[in-house]
Amino acid sequence: MAESPARTAFAEEALTHLDTLYRGALRLTRDPDQAQDLVQEAYLRALRYQHSYQQGTNMKAWLFAIMRNLFWDRYKGSRKEDVSLDDVGEFVLYDKLRDEGAKPEADVLDKLAASEVVEAVEKLPPLHREVVLLVDVEGFSYKDAAQTLGVPIGTVMSRLHRARQQLQKSLYDYALESGIVRANGTKEVPQT
Amino acid sequence: MNCNDCEEKLDRYVDRELSATEVEELKLHLEGCPPCADRYQFQSHLSRLVKLCCDQDKAPPAFREKLRQILL
Repeated sequence: MAESPARTAFAEEALTHLDTLYRGALRLTRDPDQAQDLVQEAYLRALRYQHSYQQGTNMKAWLFAIMRNLFWDRYKGSRKEDVSLDDVGEFVLYDKLRDEGAKPEADVLDKLAASEVVEAVEKLPPLHREVVLLVDVEGFSYKDAAQTLGVPIGTVMSRLHRARQQLQKSLYDYALESGIVRANGTKEVPQT
Repeated sequence: MNCNDCEEKLDRYVDRELSATEVEELKLHLEGCPPCADRYQFQSHLSRLVKLCCDQDKAPPAFREKLRQILL
């Protein structure tokens, strides 16, 4: 049966956001097959509830909200314990690296492997990971992120702050493990 | 603006969430304060790095085609 032109146009527009949705699902599930499954279900649901989308509003945010709500419907039943974030205190990578005697940008950021940065993001609990994905990766404003997640802007800011602290701590730990910096000492710059 | 104010607003500056007035104040401070300017450069660099590393993934072409078959 041929689809109506309006439905086809809606689906076409929705598919322009596929990469964003797929990336988000991949980072949330950490599994390509589960990510595809989640995204497919999100698109089917989006089409079913097409009437609830308001023309002219942020379709990417609307679709992302559907996808992350589906993720949480599934996730809540299985791994509730992974929701909280360890308290790393006020961890500021820049200050820490300066204290260690390193040049924070040239000696450390430029030497981090992309895979380590992705791993640090994926290690965040999903509640915090999704804020980093929206704001840092997809460039959402705090307001759009808040709307997508269904929380106040203040909650976005506090989750983002804690997520970034944890992220910086993970990157610091990696820099220590890989010898990019040495704790309480001078920098070590391995030639790669 | 002092260094503490600047530090407190740096995340929102990097995220482009400050008002025009706040941006001007912060820019003025950064121009006259090399340590804060370095801190800003670092945070800005870190933010770009996270984006760059995490937005490489694209939906596989076969999956895109499958969705088109289902949805269109």
